[in-house]
Amino acid sequence: MKRLLLLVVCSMACAGLLLSAPAAHAARPIKVGIIDCYSGPPAVYGKDALNGFKLALKDINKKGVLGRKIQFTTRDTKFKVDIALNMAKELVMREDVDVLVGTINSGAALAVSAAVAKKEKVPLIVWISKSERITGEKGHRYVFSCGENTAMAGKAGGVALSKKPYVKYWIAGDDYEYGHAIANAAWRNLKKLKPDVKVIGKSWWKPGEPDLAPYITSILAKKPDAVIFCTGGRSMTNVMKAIKATGMAEKVPIWIHTATDHAVLKPLGPEAPEGVMGTMDYHFYYPDIPANRAFVKAFEAAYGNPPGFPAFHGYITARFIAAAFRKAGSVDKEKFINALEGLKIASPVGQIEMRKCDHQVVLPMYLGVTKKSPKYNFAISSNIITLTGDEVMPTCAEIMKARGK
Amino acid sequence: MRDSFSLKTIGFLAAIFALVLVLPLVIPRFYTYTLALIYVMALLAMSLNLVVGHGGLFQFHHAAFYGVGAYTFALILTKTAMPFWIAFVAGPLAAGLTGCLIGGFCVRLTTLYFGMLQIALGSLIWAIVFRWYSLTGGDDGIHGIDMPSCISSTNASYYFILVIFTLCLIILYLILKSPFGITLRAIRDNPERCETVGINVNLHKLAAIVISTLFAGIAGVLFVVVERSVFPDLLFWILSLEVFIMCLLGGWFTFSGPILGAAIIVSLRTFVGTYTEYWTLILGVILILLIFFLPEGVMGFLAQKARPHERGLTAGEK
Amino acid sequence: MEIIGDLTFAGLASHLLVGLSRAMILFIVTSGLSFVLGVLRVPNIAHGSLYMIGAFVAFSISHAIGGNTGFWVALLLSPVVVGLVALIAERSLFCHLYEREHLMLLLFTFALMLILGDLVKMFWGADYRSIMAPKYLRGSINIFDSPFPKYNLFLLVIGPIVAVLLWLFSNKTKMGKIARAAAVDREMVGAIGINVSWVFAFAFVLGCLLAGLGGALVSPTVSVTLGMDHDIIMEAFLIVTIGGLGNMWGALVGSLLFGITQSFGVLFWPQFAIVFPYLAVVIVLIWKPTGMLKSVW
Repeated sequence: MKRLLLLVVCSMACAGLLLSAPAAHAARPIKVGIIDCYSGPPAVYGKDALNGFKLALKDINKKGVLGRKIQFTTRDTKFKVDIALNMAKELVMREDVDVLVGTINSGAALAVSAAVAKKEKVPLIVWISKSERITGEKGHRYVFSCGENTAMAGKAGGVALSKKPYVKYWIAGDDYEYGHAIANAAWRNLKKLKPDVKVIGKSWWKPGEPDLAPYITSILAKKPDAVIFCTGGRSMTNVMKAIKATGMAEKVPIWIHTATDHAVLKPLGPEAPEGVMGTMDYHFYYPDIPANRAFVKAFEAAYGNPPGFPAFHGYITARFIAAAFRKAGSVDKEKFINALEGLKIASPVGQIEMRKCDHQVVLPMYLGVTKKSPKYNFAISSNIITLTGDEVMPTCAEIMKARGK
Repeated sequence: MRDSFSLKTIGFLAAIFALVLVLPLVIPRFYTYTLALIYVMALLAMSLNLVVGHGGLFQFHHAAFYGVGAYTFALILTKTAMPFWIAFVAGPLAAGLTGCLIGGFCVRLTTLYFGMLQIALGSLIWAIVFRWYSLTGGDDGIHGIDMPSCISSTNASYYFILVIFTLCLIILYLILKSPFGITLRAIRDNPERCETVGINVNLHKLAAIVISTLFAGIAGVLFVVVERSVFPDLLFWILSLEVFIMCLLGGWFTFSGPILGAAIIVSLRTFVGTYTEYWTLILGVILILLIFFLPEGVMGFLAQKARPHERGLTAGEK
Repeated sequence: MEIIGDLTFAGLASHLLVGLSRAMILFIVTSGLSFVLGVLRVPNIAHGSLYMIGAFVAFSISHAIGGNTGFWVALLLSPVVVGLVALIAERSLFCHLYEREHLMLLLFTFALMLILGDLVKMFWGADYRSIMAPKYLRGSINIFDSPFPKYNLFLLVIGPIVAVLLWLFSNKTKMGKIARAAAVDREMVGAIGINVSWVFAFAFVLGCLLAGLGGALVSPTVSVTLGMDHDIIMEAFLIVTIGGLGNMWGALVGSLLFGITQSFGVLFWPQFAIVFPYLAVVIVLIWKPTGMLKSVW
């Protein structure tokens, strides 16, 4: 049993070391805890969002907020829900953060929202995850979203497609929550606006499926009028490559949310398919207004590449946090939430609002078509049509109905 | 294996128990929570070690049973009006039943084949959970599950988990000490000879799998008590691999090694993770150092240091 | 099930071809894994990481050189680079562990996977990368009236070439014969005066080299990103298991089974495509508990 004694001694020593780590601060800055994925395929988005956030903070901290600085600390979730919960609790219980921010993983966002933010009464601002359930049916007082969600994206797609003559649709995508949520939202809205459309078939593949040629071949054989692809992240690249390799875009119209995303089109370079319809809530080249140009210029100067949509979300998150604390007048979580509700701030895409009823930021959507650009050596979105926030947002009544169920 | 506890041993155990009882009163809340999480992972690793260390089976997809336990518990709590204790019992039972089914297919196979068939079968369960949106919430999972108010605070859930964990440890210890445990180790060390003396090897293996999956189910239920969430990662093979590593790291020929392995991995993940995003790199380096310098696992090493004349509690012929 | 209604021969044929081309990549990766399993008896969990490194190195080389030549140079050089990484890992660390318990070797390869994964992130960052196939391998041609990517056709050529080379190596060269003998009885090989440690090193490097080649070959069809290691490794293990552990031709059979069931699963039962590979493994292992071909395990 001496082993057990040794075990006790060792664990006490460890505990002693660990306990000594956190130090108390006297007049402490405002602390923002960021949990996001900085490893694996989603890391590209996590890092971009963080850069946008840091850029805004640099500016905010020059002036300070309520005479303090805003500090942030990051935790890597590895795209795992259990680690996200672990890290979120660590930030809340040990680091005592005032605001939680995160993450790209919608499962993790929902988990932290329900099991940490709501239970510990700490505001959580979700900035990349696109699940509409975060501020929709699972929304509550302590969760906010600074990004577009599947309901908005799907509605944008539905509105855009309803203006086209297509009737027979094929729906295909990644077999996980995001894919199905986009598909449902797009179809719901399209059907409402244009009741004669019909689905002639669906295909779902496992997220990250490397070889999509068999799926595309079987879709083409059925000759639909148009195809709705519901995919994202790195699967997006695989889909675009398969579309290019099979020449699908020349044969049938395609809509994919985020097909016009810079993070997808840039690595593809000249290999990107042209003529694919896509929707985005931000482009570094659009809207071409002074505020956006200034943001892009500062971002490129700091990080060497133009901002993607996560950087934009990160940027406005920081702006919202600073503005809400200024409005609240004190570093108090409840007052912060009251101040953030209905708050309007200036952003690179013009004035935006944090809607009071569901804590969802109101963002416009840009519908465009991929096209090679002489200016860049990769494809960009062209013929952009702006769908205003009011056009693509579910109404407050719809949200309340979803929450009431 | 020793047959009786000496007075001294009982004293040590009592001291440890007293220590973990008072800890939550003096340490910050986050550490209480982390300790509770360590108990959960430790129970999971202990249950795995019953079949890996003592049974010599390549149980590669242990997390599947952990996840089944957690999901059953969570689903009964959220989708039905049944009382807490029914859910609490149903979780481990469902896990044990799954273990019996999967184990039934697997016991005919050996070594890696056993492991890979289990991974394939376990992954089928994972795929069902991942896709069955209306029931399991799909890849988003189920979150914010309400616990009875008596175990909802951090300290209360800690004590609840501590009590269950201690009970499970005692039961596991008794099982390993029983004739069944001894037979199991005999089968691990020499299956052919056991077969010839009339032991039903496959039946013993299956029984061991069912027992271990029952305990994995309990660990799954306890996880939900701590985190109030279930999600498909709980049944993914990566978690199984991690738990396997906990056993190897702690020392899989010892009784308490997996506890130490779980404690090391969970603490590394939690505390190195706060300093660097490259914590898997650091974990990898630490693992390699341990492999080189502590070949018997950490607990195996401690056991040797403590009593050089004797190998660990259940050291085999390896 | 509505899809079956108007199945054509053309549709079936193009699905078969796509399935076969996918099987070729899987074969190249898994033959390496199986080789290591056979000779060293180690389930090399880091195999997927070496596949990922192969893809990233191919990206760097093809972008540094550019154009069509860049692709070919990358295809030749990146397996070599991966082989070097493997050699360093083997000679500096792994070779000291061969006397240990096998599960400890498993633990080592797990640690290696963790380290290599983070090193890739340090070197290449988190961005998605993409490689272009040479001009004449881009786009598609029509086979039985449905578009078939030319690059997949190229894979269908490369796969058999690699298989033939592996056969020649293991049957016609002395090194190959020694390695095969070591797989069956390593004590005997040591007893006749051959340095087993170097045989192991050679086998490990060759296995990893094949992983690198697989990574380089797959890179033009997918996005090269972190996480490729996790995607392939479990699939690879399942394949070598159903084929028969340590049997290189088992890897071929397993890959073909995987590629084709996946491709036809998509056609007949798309909503359950995600479970097909697992189901195939379950059926094979229940039917043949030690894989389809003779195993050295």
